[in-house]
Amino acid sequence: MALFFQQTLTGVSVGLVYATVAMGLMLLLRAAGVMNFAQGNLLAMGAYLSFLFMEKLQLSSGLLMVILALAVFVAVGCVFCSVCFLPFKHAKWPQAMMICTIGAGTVIQECCLLFITAETRSVRPILAGSLSVGGFVIPYQYFFIFGAMLFMMTGLFFLFEKMYCGRVMSAAAQNKYAADLLGIPTNLTTMVTFCIVVCMVGFSGWLLAPVYRVSASLSNFQARAFASVVIGGFGSLKGAIIGGILVGLIEAYSTYFTTTYKDVVVFGCLLLVLAFCPQGIIPSGTKKEKA
Amino acid sequence: MLQIENLHAWYGAIEALKGIDISVHDGNICCIIGANGAGKTTLLKSVSGMVRHTGTIRWNKEDISKASPMAVNKHGIIHVPEGRLVFPGLTVYENLEVGTISWHGFIGRKPYDEDIRKVFDLFPRLEERRDQQAWSLSGGEQQMLAIGRGLMARPKLLMLDEPSMGLAPLVVEEVFKKIVEINKQGIPILLIEQNARLALEVSDYAYIMEQGRIKFEGVSKELESDERILQAYLGNFKEEA
Ligand SMILES: Nc1ncnc2c1ncn2[C@@H]1O[C@H](COP(=O)(O)OP(=O)(O)O)[C@@H](O)[C@H]1O
Ligand SMILES: [Mg+2]
Repeated sequence: MALFFQQTLTGVSVGLVYATVAMGLMLLLRAAGVMNFAQGNLLAMGAYLSFLFMEKLQLSSGLLMVILALAVFVAVGCVFCSVCFLPFKHAKWPQAMMICTIGAGTVIQECCLLFITAETRSVRPILAGSLSVGGFVIPYQYFFIFGAMLFMMTGLFFLFEKMYCGRVMSAAAQNKYAADLLGIPTNLTTMVTFCIVVCMVGFSGWLLAPVYRVSASLSNFQARAFASVVIGGFGSLKGAIIGGILVGLIEAYSTYFTTTYKDVVVFGCLLLVLAFCPQGIIPSGTKKEKA
Repeated sequence: MLQIENLHAWYGAIEALKGIDISVHDGNICCIIGANGAGKTTLLKSVSGMVRHTGTIRWNKEDISKASPMAVNKHGIIHVPEGRLVFPGLTVYENLEVGTISWHGFIGRKPYDEDIRKVFDLFPRLEERRDQQAWSLSGGEQQMLAIGRGLMARPKLLMLDEPSMGLAPLVVEEVFKKIVEINKQGIPILLIEQNARLALEVSDYAYIMEQGRIKFEGVSKELESDERILQAYLGNFKEEA
């Protein structure tokens, strides 16, 4: 029983990370019309940054690290948007943008390997120690991940549901032409979306670093985020969240049976979902989310 | 007053407008009639700064030929696009809110409750659907929402691109009544239409456009009874509409 609780909690926290990465995918898909193939590399970049700040530079103040990281993420977001979105805005071949994100991902990864570290490293957890009640052991880091992800999602919800600028950003994402006609600075809103997504994904990577260690293979999470998006139902943010948590749980529970083949279990489930309900398990009000 | 002189517009190498001169006087409804592909939408897009063009566009003596879409909006020239293009995933209320961007600003805090009140007074049906998402509205309601969203921008000139498109005759009539009502509040309107008969009925002055050029122009009442025009245009358009 204790093991079950432990798996559930770790599953949900890691699932929330997938959910965040998947939400980032959806946000970009809606705002820029591009499936971002650099998402995993951005996640890895966050982890590398945590290694750089915490181990290599030995920065002492948490606040300083967060501010520096924010600055880096926003800068990367702006450059990423300028390179991958703006030049291809009017491209006749929409896949151009997607291919460009693949290239950008490679550049990001190589920069991390070149400038930060080429070896697999571990970093200290932000919250050391673990909670043990009975046979039930959970590192505090998981609670931290849990809290941070909830915080990010609440922030996102607040931005898009409650705030004027979030509404303007959704409008621009839904119809660029109409938004331009209203005088919405659509290039700016798209760039802000890129920055938000890079921050979300980057900090997720940061939080995952102590759990999964810092290496370029963190970018494999991209595939899990895809799985989350597909399982949850392509197109809706809610679906991305639920899909992410599900993928996290499936992965956690599958460790009952196997650790080496847990990817097989996850993507096996993905195939099952695709076979039996290709719309995903959350039937989204398609029309509303599509446009 | 909006004055356009010798306007040419291009899509790549295609010249869609070949020298257009029109003016819209304060308080008037001015309509532009023409078949599909005549260049009516392109004319509005040129004013909004959405397409490459040459020539002069003056708004109250000020040259806005080279103005960006944002700057044009700041002047109070509001373009309600063809096909309504409301934001489908936002509610009616949110669609209206977004309409204020040109004077409210991205992170401004100016109140717009009164503007919303006015739009709801004009279109009570929108108030009934206040929290419904825009994709779930009927065509007529979407058109009203698109016009309402334009009104939220506090227009000094409202440019409507084919507001009757794809609507049932009764709904078209309702929409046109509202357009006249808006005009009575002192907002000049540049109306684009394929439904010539209706457009001539509500407008003060009319231009007839064909293949990127103005073919005829005149006071609407006179054009309405002009045999040549009746024969050449009204018949055709009626069939299409
Ligand atoms: N985005 C575009 N790219 C190329 N040509 C276009 C584009 N939009 C319109 N055109 C052409 O410009 C001409 C005028 O189009 P438009 O202004 O949309 O006409 P209308 O609104 O009167 O139906 C048409 O011949 C059309 O084929
Ligand atoms: Mg048109």
